[in-house]
Amino acid sequence: MRDVAVVQARSVGFFAALAPRGKAVFFALAAVAICLLFAFPVFWLILTSLRPGTGVYYVHRGTEFTVDNFHEVLSQDIVLRALLNSFMISTLATVLSLGVTATSGYMLSRFKGPIPNAWFSLMYIFRCVPYVAWVLPLYFVTQQLSIFDTYWGLLLPHIAVHICFFSWIMKGFFDGIDPSMEYAAMIDGCSRWGAFWRVALPSAIPGLTALAILCWLYTWNEFLFALILTAHETPILTVVMAQFVHELGMEWHLMSATAVIALVPALIVTLFGQRYVIRGLRI
Amino acid sequence: MNEKTRFMLELITPAALVLLLFQVVPILTGANASFRDWTLHDPKRTWVGLANYVHVLRDAEFRDVVLPNTFGFMVASVACSLLLGLLIALMLNKRFPGRWLVQSFILLPLMVAPVIAAIMIRWMFNDQFGVVNAVLEGLGFAPVSWLTQRWTAFGVILLTDVWLWTPWFALILLAGLQSLPSEPFEAARIDAASAWRTFRYITLPMLRPVMVVCIVIRAIDAFRTFDIVWTISGGGPARATEVFSIYAYVESFQFLNLARGSAAAVIGAIIIVIFALLLYRILNRFVEVSK
Repeated sequence: MRDVAVVQARSVGFFAALAPRGKAVFFALAAVAICLLFAFPVFWLILTSLRPGTGVYYVHRGTEFTVDNFHEVLSQDIVLRALLNSFMISTLATVLSLGVTATSGYMLSRFKGPIPNAWFSLMYIFRCVPYVAWVLPLYFVTQQLSIFDTYWGLLLPHIAVHICFFSWIMKGFFDGIDPSMEYAAMIDGCSRWGAFWRVALPSAIPGLTALAILCWLYTWNEFLFALILTAHETPILTVVMAQFVHELGMEWHLMSATAVIALVPALIVTLFGQRYVIRGLRI
Repeated sequence: MNEKTRFMLELITPAALVLLLFQVVPILTGANASFRDWTLHDPKRTWVGLANYVHVLRDAEFRDVVLPNTFGFMVASVACSLLLGLLIALMLNKRFPGRWLVQSFILLPLMVAPVIAAIMIRWMFNDQFGVVNAVLEGLGFAPVSWLTQRWTAFGVILLTDVWLWTPWFALILLAGLQSLPSEPFEAARIDAASAWRTFRYITLPMLRPVMVVCIVIRAIDAFRTFDIVWTISGGGPARATEVFSIYAYVESFQFLNLARGSAAAVIGAIIIVIFALLLYRILNRFVEVSK
């Protein structure tokens, strides 16, 4: 209500006299333009996925539509396995990353002194190291540990990626929670772990939910690590999608169909989590 | 070791173990390789000291193309997505019919895999079959071969990055706007401050801590961009759009000189860590990140 009042109070200037409701029209146009800008590539992806293989080169002219691409993609064994693998990896990576970084962020938030300071600086510096500097040697490391091309071989590096950034964000969540409840719990006989587990962690759940959604989406859509750290045993959806346009010829229609299928879980997660994400992103 | 210290260490042990094994060890492995001769005709991997570093730093490609591209990309990408993100956040902070619809559309780029977005945008800018050229022709302009010239290819990459990251800026800034106290705005309204002055002297200063954190995080990420550049142009035409991640990758895998690629990666890492430490000092002035 307050904002509406402001708009009316302002609309007595020269501009408003020149074009009544001009501001509202301009605002609506800007909103439509923004929607178009962000929706167009996705719209085009969906359109391409509905075109027959021969028609993709004339997406903007053709009128034939078909769902055969989806049938064809879903009948391929590798796509189904990749769907399952991507889902498992994203879910496990989310659970494990949050588990590992919740404690680390709690430590950064509740303690002062040389150890937390050193840990924080370490997090900050390792966050900056470019991926190329460690993803290539990581290939050798996972082979040495004989976990290359397995779930663990992709999961653990993913957790390592998230540790620095998430610890920082988690610190912010715990900073926003009053520690006096934990002190009270400890006076009543709770151990330090008990105070963390039973008092601090439950209060941080809104933030954790937001981070979980972002982490899941990020892992679901991640490409570089999946490309380098997996092969035939553990196909990952983003790599399989990209290969439709690289190695197996330029099959734009199949790539698009797979991408649209991959979009569905992401869409569900985002739409259900939208509220939490926006609330939890306060840094 | 007292009980408190032990608790602190217990809290960070799992994270520290994963970090050590899957980040520190690989980085050291790469750094070790960068001091050796890792070409195919030297199976002994002779220690060559700083020779690889000297070679990379003397390489005209690295100095005159890769570094300007990397920094140019970082500045342009952060500036564009910050401005656009701020505008969208200000817009979404108002109440208007259809707001949830706009907000849902804004979330779309967060759901699409960056590599798919990059493939799709490359497809849209294809010089023969792309929709962008079809539209240009429809409007009576000559079609442009977007990806065969340096600056247009750079522009397409930048556009993709801005498309991918503006929503992120918009959402974080929106969350920041919504958590601002309302009293200063009421005071400004009572004093009949104009919308611009309210924005300039109240919104912007109060939003600055959030903006600075966003800029630092995004600047570091933009510096190490790999996948969208690789998918859209592959560093081409003729290595003209290479950023430093691509340079390290190309040296390692296309010229099969892992040592030189690692040296380039280490140089990049040193540059960005120094840059990040400078940013950190700025950051600390606005928000106390390490209380």
